[in-house]
Amino acid sequence: MPITFLQQSLLWGLLAVSIPIVIHLLNRRRFRTIQWAAMDFLLKATRESRGKKKLKYIIILTARALAIAALILAIARPLVGGFLSWGGSQVDTVILILDRSPSMEQAAANGDTSRRMTAIKSVQQSLKTLNNPKLVLIDSASAEAQRVPSPDALDQLSSTAPTDTKAAIPELISTAIDYITDNSLGRCEIWLASDLQKSDWSPDDGRWDAVKAGLVDLPQKTTLRIISMASAITDNVATRVLSANRIDNELALEIEIIKSDSDNSTALPITYNINGNKSSETISFKGQSYKYSKNVALGDTKGEGYGYIDIPTDANPRDNVSFFAYGEKTAAKSYLVTEGGEPTSWLALACAPPGLNNNECEILSAQQTDQIDWANATLIIWQATLPSDSIAAKLNTYLENGGAALILPPRGESEASFLGIQWQDLETSSRGQYFIIDDWNRSDGPLRNGTDGISIPASKLKAIQRRGISGEFTALATWSDDKPFLIRQVVGDGTAIFATSLPDYSWSNLADADVLLPIIQRMIQLGGKRFSSAYSAIAGGSELMLIDGEIRTRIDGHADSKSSNAIYDAGVWKIGDRLVATNRTASEDQWMILDQDDMDALLEGSPYSLFEDQGDSDSLVKEIWKALLIAMLIFLITEALLCLQPKGANNKLKT
Amino acid sequence: MKYDFLDPDVLARLGAMPLEARQAMTGNVAGRHRSPHRGSSVEFAEYRKYVQGDDTRRLDWKAYARSDRYYIKEFEADTNLRAYFVLDASASMGFSAADDSRIQFARKLAATLSYLIIDQGDAAGLSVCREKIHLEIPPTRKAAQLNNIFDILAKTEPDGETGLVEALHTIAEKTNQRALIIIMSDLFCETSELADALQHLRYRKHDIAIFHMLDKQELEFDFERPHRFIDMEDQTSLVAEPALIASDYRNAMQQFLNEVKSVCHDVHADYHLITTDQDYEKIIHDFLSTRLPKKGRK
Repeated sequence: MPITFLQQSLLWGLLAVSIPIVIHLLNRRRFRTIQWAAMDFLLKATRESRGKKKLKYIIILTARALAIAALILAIARPLVGGFLSWGGSQVDTVILILDRSPSMEQAAANGDTSRRMTAIKSVQQSLKTLNNPKLVLIDSASAEAQRVPSPDALDQLSSTAPTDTKAAIPELISTAIDYITDNSLGRCEIWLASDLQKSDWSPDDGRWDAVKAGLVDLPQKTTLRIISMASAITDNVATRVLSANRIDNELALEIEIIKSDSDNSTALPITYNINGNKSSETISFKGQSYKYSKNVALGDTKGEGYGYIDIPTDANPRDNVSFFAYGEKTAAKSYLVTEGGEPTSWLALACAPPGLNNNECEILSAQQTDQIDWANATLIIWQATLPSDSIAAKLNTYLENGGAALILPPRGESEASFLGIQWQDLETSSRGQYFIIDDWNRSDGPLRNGTDGISIPASKLKAIQRRGISGEFTALATWSDDKPFLIRQVVGDGTAIFATSLPDYSWSNLADADVLLPIIQRMIQLGGKRFSSAYSAIAGGSELMLIDGEIRTRIDGHADSKSSNAIYDAGVWKIGDRLVATNRTASEDQWMILDQDDMDALLEGSPYSLFEDQGDSDSLVKEIWKALLIAMLIFLITEALLCLQPKGANNKLKT
Repeated sequence: MKYDFLDPDVLARLGAMPLEARQAMTGNVAGRHRSPHRGSSVEFAEYRKYVQGDDTRRLDWKAYARSDRYYIKEFEADTNLRAYFVLDASASMGFSAADDSRIQFARKLAATLSYLIIDQGDAAGLSVCREKIHLEIPPTRKAAQLNNIFDILAKTEPDGETGLVEALHTIAEKTNQRALIIIMSDLFCETSELADALQHLRYRKHDIAIFHMLDKQELEFDFERPHRFIDMEDQTSLVAEPALIASDYRNAMQQFLNEVKSVCHDVHADYHLITTDQDYEKIIHDFLSTRLPKKGRK
């Protein structure tokens, strides 16, 4: 266990350990000379005393030296705890980077308080032990540096309170480096209290190289000390509303529940609070993740609404609630860019089946794409030569903003490419044989199983023609010869799906609706999310900023927020005329953490140390001078006992 | 007084006390001590039958009248005592921690006792021994003998290694007549060799008295700080921490004393362990007292 000292200069006093030895040697040199007659007895006694008694005398001398050493070490105020390395106690300024993300509200290893509060208390105690150096706080929510006048106030500050925001660790360290560079801080250290959640640390973030270089290039050696609060997560269940859409007089909620433990089955009571009306049910599921849909009747209420779902308190109360808001359902507007022919009618029909939500589908040729209202388009179906130039740019922007596009092969050959994908030659099956769908992703993508677990009958699809495809992609469904039928390209917030056959009797039976209808309707649903997303935001996001004249009011009734932390808290907010439900980022519910190897890879070459808080102490460092004084006492008592003549040693001769 | 080891007051106080032999002596003149031979003292010894050649003047006519047989009436012979003072003059006898040195203490004892012996008409002699040197004054009863003894005692200075064992053997060989051998030494020699020498004396029927002279410091070994001990006989030195070795030293000394006592007991020696801080008058007084005949004996 590493030991550091608050008063390192006093360690020179350890030279005093030699005092008993020097006195002993001087004594041996400053002997008194005496003429002696009974020399034989003296020689005999000396011979007999050589072993055990010499050892005893050495032990006495050692005890004296150790007593002095213990006294000097006690005066030098030693610290233990492994947090500080040698010289670490000599610090003028501590920059504390505090992870305030929801995962830090998980109960700490000691089980009494959250990881965040445990880290704060540990830092407070440690700073006191280190004689209260200057403290600068950089919290993960604001990412701004602020002087903290006293460590005692640390747990009272709004900027150390829990939030639902993500912690961008590389950005926070960069902020600390900038602060050190811009200010004259003397001997400085960066203390980073975090649960090492991978999503917060973003190990793939390109800024890590700059962070490493920044730490190394600081004018004075500055150590980054990471206070790891990454104990294993147990007894925690997180809940999240994936989507909340109004369909006529019903609210369709898509809900995900994630468990930390992999028990076989769980019965979880869940409360729905919609526009102030509460209802509860118990959900039973198996495994660590469970998604389900819930339709709630809205009755006569019109227009916008909001609510939250809530589960009982567990190890992390911060992820037990998820808020949502919704507006009026708007009809989906799809644009079908087509070469004409049989596929056009089937695709248009699948886009807007009669009587379904008043959906619309506008059919355009490749030359009419300027008529597309990109801002309000729910789905773009592109069955033509791949777009290029300005149209390609517009489609790309549309996708990046959360749009959805289904791209089908053209009848003619073309060398155009889009999103790195290029159509290849037309392929025809052997006579009397078909291309059959053999494998498809049943958990993700447009061919995923329904919420009732029933799969899409994709195997019914038979094709006699298809077009090859090249580029880098993720295949969602493949033909029996492993060539792709459906591929997905994610662009920004949007998604483009490529299908390699057409709903044309000379190509395939895709028009039979077993496959085409679910694909297109799910694409419409996907594309429609960006409209409902106007009602949802990530805590701390720019959507929550106030425009001139706006007032931000929390209306969900689940909890209150301090005004200084309002932007960082999950909840339902009325901001001016806008209704916004804010939640933690989805990545906060991914509880993967960095290990030592990951950390080494991230910070290799920079001065850093990783301290894992086991929760067994209030402080990261602990003074042990009392123990040393006790040790000194023990050494002195030992010395005294050994110096005492044993019973009978002083007995007189029997003459 | 000429000699610093003589105290007239002590001599006066002890003058009334006789030095008795613990066994019959064979002196050459009549004296106050028992002799193994029959003589002309007033102390009746025994009757024996007359044999031809006996002096008829010693016939007990009254016994003849009673028994009609010739008996010779015999009486004890009283003779003088011959005392040898054997003084160890090795360097170790010069040891002195605070009081008189051993040799000075021995001078006092020897001088006082020799005075008392000659004063009561017995003979006293002196043997001073050290390695390879053995100075000897044969015992006589002349008054001038005292001056000789005192002079030798005054001139004797401790030096060299001990020659006690050799001196005792020499005395045992040379002294034919029974004598009182008074040994004054620290007995720092091989105990087994000492035992042989004493046995030799015992074999020659000498009465042995031993003043085993030690210093209080040698017995207690009570030092506080490291000392460099220099052997008084061969000048070898040893630096030691007394606190560390005191216990073992005392054990070794105790063992030595036990062995010496055992040896002395075996030869029926009159053993006296004395320390140089003691009052020598009392030592002599005790010595003389213990040698007085038990009640019922002359």
